[in-house]
Amino acid sequence: MVKTRRAGVRSGARSEAVAGWLFITPAVAHTLVFMAAPAVGALLLSFSQWDMTSAPTWAGLDNYRAVLFDRDLYPDFLVAVRVTAYYALLAVPASLLTGFVQAYLIDAVRRGQGVFRLAFYLPMITAEAAVAAIWKWLYDPQFGLINGLLGVFGAEGPDWLGEPAMVVPALALIAAWQSGTAMIIFLAGLKGIPRNLYEAAEVDGARRRDQLLRITIPLLRPTTFYLVITGVIGALQVFGLVYVLFGRDIGGPESAGLTYVLQLYVTGFRDGEMGAASAMSFLLFAVTIMVTALQFRLLRREPA
Amino acid sequence: MTRHRAAARPPAVMRAFATLVLVAGALVAMAPFVWMIATSFKQPQDVFTPTPQLLPLSSETGAWAGTFDNYLAVFDIDGFTRAFVNSVLVVVVLVPAKVLLAAMAGYAFARIRFPGRDRVFAMILATIMLPGVALLVPKVFLTQELGMGDSLSGLIVPSLVSAFDIFLFRQFFLTLPQELEEAAKIDGAGWWLIFRKLALPLAKPALAVVTITAFIFHWNDFLWPLVILTDQEKYTLPLALQALASGRVAQPHLVMAGAVVAVMPVVAVFLIFQRRILDGIQFTGLK
Repeated sequence: MVKTRRAGVRSGARSEAVAGWLFITPAVAHTLVFMAAPAVGALLLSFSQWDMTSAPTWAGLDNYRAVLFDRDLYPDFLVAVRVTAYYALLAVPASLLTGFVQAYLIDAVRRGQGVFRLAFYLPMITAEAAVAAIWKWLYDPQFGLINGLLGVFGAEGPDWLGEPAMVVPALALIAAWQSGTAMIIFLAGLKGIPRNLYEAAEVDGARRRDQLLRITIPLLRPTTFYLVITGVIGALQVFGLVYVLFGRDIGGPESAGLTYVLQLYVTGFRDGEMGAASAMSFLLFAVTIMVTALQFRLLRREPA
Repeated sequence: MTRHRAAARPPAVMRAFATLVLVAGALVAMAPFVWMIATSFKQPQDVFTPTPQLLPLSSETGAWAGTFDNYLAVFDIDGFTRAFVNSVLVVVVLVPAKVLLAAMAGYAFARIRFPGRDRVFAMILATIMLPGVALLVPKVFLTQELGMGDSLSGLIVPSLVSAFDIFLFRQFFLTLPQELEEAAKIDGAGWWLIFRKLALPLAKPALAVVTITAFIFHWNDFLWPLVILTDQEKYTLPLALQALASGRVAQPHLVMAGAVVAVMPVVAVFLIFQRRILDGIQFTGLK
């Protein structure tokens, strides 16, 4: 093999160009077929009427109009929007706050940093389906660990996944448990704060709490900003968790756990309305971009 | 002066307090896993206790009643064993191919000069912005049209290239010294040889991070298999677990044994490589 490649002098730049293209061809071809084509397809589909069996027909903005405003055709769309917004509102702060406290404490201790990092990260690498199966059992109103422990202290726990009002808080508690990413990234942020800032503050007589409020938290602003964006984008896409948690009872009691992507899945793959599902996809995409842009703007307005 | 030096680190009392809180927190974080494992070793009649019982004790006599039967029973369920094999197959074929394609492209974008390179790279990078869900419907349709609907290849082929992995490899290969390829080129070695014998061995840290994250992602993946597969014979582990968990009769002992089976391979890989992964997340997360 080596001998044949030693074919002697090649016209350098040309063979380099050929080699370069050969190296990237599989990736480029794949991207065109499985990313670019579906992206165009998704946009076109969102303007079409299509049930996946007959040919799609042009429907203009009908899908968007129906999804957004026709409550007879899509009665649950606004429910799903509300559930998802409420979930993001609870889950993102819950996960970030837990992750920050964990990171702050880990940064402060000398021994066992690795073990704590590991313990708090394990929930992140657990399969959604397994997370849901485990928490479904933890939340069991009669025999679950959570209500069992509450019972030991004489309190009566709610039917977490059975009472509509408890569903999203119960989901947010799972999000708080999955604080690993926030913890790791906050930890990196904390390690990036120059020690001499704290030393200077100490010399000036600043207490630890003041250091936290005046130095640590302000300097973590870019980190927090990044985590809020990625957290919200992730929260908008929750699917597997609620799908498995509620099983046959899709969306849970009174659709209190009907997240946006779950609704999208039902519309597209249960009801076979691909056009409407594509419109929902693009609305989600638009919101994602808006969230990102909005937060960039907010960050820029406040001098850090 | 001593006071000044102490400022760099919290005092011992606070460190002890922090450790205490962390230990408590870690116990809470681990509790769901502990409960999962505990339940998986209980006999069916010992599972439903009003007061939580950590150890697998008989609910009647209080004697030790731990059992491995639930694991045997779970693997006795036809679909579950097949799902395990399917998951292994998908990961074994998909992950190495995915890593190799990303490494090749990342290498070329970083170190080979060719016309159109930066524009093509920008195009690939732009696809990171597209949320997977937005493309779900046409991607499913395309996969079916290509004859891969309801098959394991439908789980493998559409996921073969990850723009993010390419980006990661490119960033890594950019850090290698400029002179790396010079000597080899003078010797007349071709680019493929240089890539395989010189660049890849140096890229072990990047290879490890990409391989492990790809393994974890595809082992755990739920949405894509769900929309691609209808035939239960093709189910992967997360789908089989879902089917098990939504049975009409509550069987937490079986479901938890199934969850342990689904979780353990990932946890094992993670425990072995955790430092690399966590440092990798710090690196990629903040870039």
